[in-house]
Amino acid sequence: MKQLTSEKLLDGIRFHSVSEDRFKTTRLSVVFYVPLEARTVSKYALLSRILIRTCEKYPDFTALSKKLSALYGASLSADCFKVGDRLGILFSVSGIDDRYALDNECISKELSELMCEILFKPKVSSSAFDEEELIQSKRELIDLIDSELNEKRIYALQRANEIMCEGEAFATSRLGTGSGAESVTAEELYQAWRDMISTAVIEIFYIGESSPAFSKDTFKSFFFEAQRTPVSLSNTVVRTADRVKTAEEEMELSQSKMILGFRCDCAEPEENVTAFRLMVAVLGGTAHSKLFNNVREKLSLCYYCAARFNRQKGIMTVDSGVETANIEKAKEAILNEIKAIQDGDVTDFELESAKMSVINSFNEMNDTAASIEGWYLSQMFDGRIYTADELSEKISSVTKEEIITASKKLTLDTVYVLKGVMKEDEE
Amino acid sequence: MNIREIRSDRIGESYYEIDHPTGLKIFVYPKEGYNSTYAIFGTHYGSIHNSFRKDHSDVISVPDGIAHFLEHKLFECEEGDAFARFAKTGANANAYTSFDKTCYLFSCTDHFEESFEILLDFVTKPYFTDETVQKEQGIIGQEIKMYDDSPEWCCMFNMLSKMYEHHPVRIDIAGTVDSIAKITPDYLYSCYNTFYNLNNMVLCVVGKVDVDTVLSIADRMLKKSKDSTVESFFEEEPKGVSDSFVEQKMPVGLPLFNFGFKESSERLLSTEEIAYTDILLVMLASQNSPMYRDLLDSGLINSSFAHEFFEGDGFAVTIFSGESRKPEEAAEMIKDYVRKAHEEGLSKEDFEIAKRAVYGENLSAFNSVAAIANTMVDHYFSDREIYAYLEAVANAEFTDIQDRLSKMMNEEYAVLSVVRS
Repeated sequence: MKQLTSEKLLDGIRFHSVSEDRFKTTRLSVVFYVPLEARTVSKYALLSRILIRTCEKYPDFTALSKKLSALYGASLSADCFKVGDRLGILFSVSGIDDRYALDNECISKELSELMCEILFKPKVSSSAFDEEELIQSKRELIDLIDSELNEKRIYALQRANEIMCEGEAFATSRLGTGSGAESVTAEELYQAWRDMISTAVIEIFYIGESSPAFSKDTFKSFFFEAQRTPVSLSNTVVRTADRVKTAEEEMELSQSKMILGFRCDCAEPEENVTAFRLMVAVLGGTAHSKLFNNVREKLSLCYYCAARFNRQKGIMTVDSGVETANIEKAKEAILNEIKAIQDGDVTDFELESAKMSVINSFNEMNDTAASIEGWYLSQMFDGRIYTADELSEKISSVTKEEIITASKKLTLDTVYVLKGVMKEDEE
Repeated sequence: MNIREIRSDRIGESYYEIDHPTGLKIFVYPKEGYNSTYAIFGTHYGSIHNSFRKDHSDVISVPDGIAHFLEHKLFECEEGDAFARFAKTGANANAYTSFDKTCYLFSCTDHFEESFEILLDFVTKPYFTDETVQKEQGIIGQEIKMYDDSPEWCCMFNMLSKMYEHHPVRIDIAGTVDSIAKITPDYLYSCYNTFYNLNNMVLCVVGKVDVDTVLSIADRMLKKSKDSTVESFFEEEPKGVSDSFVEQKMPVGLPLFNFGFKESSERLLSTEEIAYTDILLVMLASQNSPMYRDLLDSGLINSSFAHEFFEGDGFAVTIFSGESRKPEEAAEMIKDYVRKAHEEGLSKEDFEIAKRAVYGENLSAFNSVAAIANTMVDHYFSDREIYAYLEAVANAEFTDIQDRLSKMMNEEYAVLSVVRS
């Protein structure tokens, strides 16, 4: 893995770069981290929409799109994501490397300039965003929120998270709510933009063959003018569940979704996080995990049944698609697999294959710019940064006993069922 | 054995095309500096091949969904599940079935040889029994139900079913719970023996790999397939569509639509024609097109709006899709813009920009071993080539695109499919 070069640009701002000549593209991303709060999330989610629609230099959606196409179909995107109780607002631009331009343009430089135009010179006047742009951005965001119901697996995971983390910041959806978005004014959004630029903790990533020097200098001068006072970001971990919450919703579906949420009594930056990661892989992280082999293949109870670990919050979720009549059976089967690990039923094969699979995924990560960036981004709050090789080594040395110990810390917190009910015949 | 190096000076890379004595076409594409290797073994056999004959014998008709079923079943060998075998090498294995192909693949960063052997082994060794077929009916039944709940999936198939009266592209790739209940080991063997002939297949390996390693294992593992002729039959399909509108109610947060044009499908498009089609659709419907802008400003689409052209034996479709609170109005506006393009012609400036965009996007795809391997397989089964495609984009002329438009998107053959609550 190529070395990550990190440098502090200003207080609360780091610039990271990886020099890579394998890719045909240059990728530049800026991430703003702010506290995750129901009160502010809608504004930040709206910023992720409005800032990539237009800016002062390209004041019209079509003009900006044309600019991107002329840069050989460069892509500009923005997204919001949660890292524990922090909200990340990510802006990325990616375009072909200078070597491949048909007319010898310096595309990497243009990408950096474009990113700065978008972030620092939006289409605003008298301390407010443009009203028409705001209306369109609200509509896009509300559409995005509403359309999450279309994908039932994601919808179920979200509902389970809201129920499990009620009262915690983490219950807040990364995009906020429709009514939250609706109520934001052009002035409030302007203030949120100012806050984001001047108070967020910022990480900038540059991955490509061409030199990052121009990009670094450009960002430095823009942020210098912003007179920053970075915010401090915190994260809470609920270590154990004292009772099991259950919730059920009905919907007209042919397949039900069941989510089990567990507290892990283990979260970043604790040392046993690595053992926990591997335990979750053994349970339900691969195509030869206990849940896949036993609950899906042997018992044919679910089409999918997978476990994932949120290592910042110390939460494990098992999500499954299951026939309504089999919900109870599937739940029992899943809990049995966890019990099996707790009782020491982990074969050498299960342990070794999970290790190989996890290490393989770490190594594959290194072959695309977006995943290299994601790899480092996911570790920004862990207090140290591992390369794929370093973490692979740690995974390799996890013992069966450590996995069993980890599994014993699980407590079931929430059972959420999106219950499929058949439609009454209309005809 | 014929081994040819195919070079692209434009991107400074090359791959090897091999006619293996067993009848198999093999592509090896080494990628300097990559950690991972991605291998696909595919057959030109998918959900639409439901009626066929081998070597001029009797025509056989098989239940819908059998190609996908066979894909699932092939993972099971006499000595156990192929996933379990891959588990020992750490490779990440998978498979997929589309309308006209079935592909088995893995990616890995270590132990390539072992994983490659497993891939060649399990795909060439069918093992079907009554018992294993029955068990799979349960799992696939669950999978079909999951698709039944997917509004995107339903929206597309509803549209196809109005476009095609007989062609099996109208049927869900996985079939139905009823159709898969009819599948037996005998049916599976007859499909396998017909379509999993190496002459009908392709093997493509991209990434950290070299020709010698691939060949030494292929030489050892593969047995020559007998030359045979395979014919697939499709009922005659009317040129038109059976209905221009279809709607389904299911729980969605926002209605979805697929607005598609049934295209002429007498033959598959050439490499150049596909490149021109891609540029044309970017001109018409990408974010910087006047149509996109108008749709967006009128509140008729959001950023989920997409366009696509796909084709195969006996079918070809152009689709505009997305989420919309007013899908009928969105489709009307799209239809107006398409009509205007036909009547008034295209803009030269839009062409220049679109050409650059398509060029850049396709160049970027060479970053990914998975994208290269999958694209090469697609191209091979359609008699096209990956570098020639990039050249066709770079060398496209404005008149080529105008010409292409004149043969596409006839509004008489349009269907709007909507899914709403």
